[in-house]
Amino acid sequence: MDWFEVISENFMVAGGRPLEVLAAVRDRHPLVLHGVSLSIGTTDPLNRKYLADLRALAKRFEPAWISDHLCWTGVAGRNLHDLLPLPYTAEVVRHVSQRIREVQDFLERPILLENVSSYLTFRDSTLSEWEFLCAVTEQADCGILLDINNIFVNAFNHRFSAEQYLDAIPVERVAQFHLAGHSDHGTHLFDTHDQPVGEEVWALYQRAVRRFGAVSTLIEWDDNIPEFRVLAETAERARRICEATVRAGTTGDEFSAQRPAESALPAYHRA
Amino acid sequence: MSFQLKDLQNLLYRLITAPSGVAEGLGTEHALPAGGLAALVDGDERLSAEARVDVYADMYFYRLLEALKEDYPATLAVLGEANFHNLITAYLIEHRPSEPSLRGAGKFVPDFLRRHPPRAQVPFVADLAMLERAIIDVFCAADATPLEVSEMNALEPELWGAVKMRRIAVSAVLRAHWRVGEVLRAVEEKRDWKSPGRERNRILVWRRNSRVSYREIASNEAAALAMLARTTKFANVCEVLARGLPQDQAPQAIRDTLARWLSEGLITRAGRGKRDQPRS
Repeated sequence: MDWFEVISENFMVAGGRPLEVLAAVRDRHPLVLHGVSLSIGTTDPLNRKYLADLRALAKRFEPAWISDHLCWTGVAGRNLHDLLPLPYTAEVVRHVSQRIREVQDFLERPILLENVSSYLTFRDSTLSEWEFLCAVTEQADCGILLDINNIFVNAFNHRFSAEQYLDAIPVERVAQFHLAGHSDHGTHLFDTHDQPVGEEVWALYQRAVRRFGAVSTLIEWDDNIPEFRVLAETAERARRICEATVRAGTTGDEFSAQRPAESALPAYHRA
Repeated sequence: MSFQLKDLQNLLYRLITAPSGVAEGLGTEHALPAGGLAALVDGDERLSAEARVDVYADMYFYRLLEALKEDYPATLAVLGEANFHNLITAYLIEHRPSEPSLRGAGKFVPDFLRRHPPRAQVPFVADLAMLERAIIDVFCAADATPLEVSEMNALEPELWGAVKMRRIAVSAVLRAHWRVGEVLRAVEEKRDWKSPGRERNRILVWRRNSRVSYREIASNEAAALAMLARTTKFANVCEVLARGLPQDQAPQAIRDTLARWLSEGLITRAGRGKRDQPRS
């Protein structure tokens, strides 16, 4: 096991077993905090209590980085506990990037934002999803957690080219990959995290490694979790693809064992 | 930020959480532009705009339902799948989640069950849910530093009465009308559960290190632990523990209770910080 990613909110508690387990993990492994309720795209004010709890958690466990999602999760003080897409417009880019800057100032560190899977898009959008992601992360000066499966799912659901998406993302901003399984509902693909990574997603992953190099990669498997051997084999497959692709010399990067570490961060993360 | 994004998010929130589904939500919605939902959300021959919002509506409900099943496994067991589903449907209309963590989504379930008893023949279910909720709360409450036997033994016995102590923060004393501890124990041990007796009782829930435990407590112990919600001299606790007992039995009862509390890590010495304040 190279490193651990944990859901931040599960550990934003006063005490008890969650923190005890996390401390034991952190003693032995690098750790990253991955949130699901930052709601960076909501029109509600930033939740200062949430940010203070997150900052305290980060101070205690010193994660390699903190990430969340480029989405909104609630409005008017209510939480949908889901990752909802935003309209892809210049106005929303300004709204979100300003909030990311505030969050980064508060946390005193840059954050990564992940592209979410989605099942709807908005008529008002004037940008593609990848243009929106690039514009937000550029204006906010934050990193990207690139979910390869989400790109594949959205490419089907919204009829765009996954390859075009990948090729548009700036190499220097990507600090982590997610891989996961999805299910096919006929009318749409569903990001379920409950089955093996699809072959098409593996192919897209290889293309991503070719473009972005040896980026720390996490397999997300949240439901119908198989025996550990299957998980380990999946992680090993990612490692083999990464190693072989990088050794083929298409990126010029050196293989870094996919561990989140200071050296794995993009330049602007090391400042 | 523009009102448009705020309006859009509020509209989607209302549709996703509409109790009878997106279609009915659309029927009562007054904030739609000309052209309806399709003027805001893209649709195609595979999925209409409404069907796409429906995907999120399903996820909203079923994610919360599954989370609450995990929080309330015994409540689920006694109500059954269908009744529990109906309970959560009604509950979410009244108690929309507002906290960042799913952990907070079900905190009002016991109170909701008291105010809206289900039709199923389980009059004890609100007490059962109360016990399950207390276990969740205690599970991740602030850590405590319990008083150790060695600390008491280091004191001359005549000084014990002056020791100021209180109950650890990671504990709760519940007032139940049904003996629901037995039901929870049966569900935890995957045994068939029986309807509990109707009998007023007190249940102590506490955590030592990471292990959460619960047990019924007798009236004297309940009164003493209630007193220990605030800093109290041990002598005062002894008076409560001795109530109603023959004089020759009281000292042994007090010794046994203190020994148990110490072994269970239930009390802390006063002056160890505010976070050791107990619940209820």
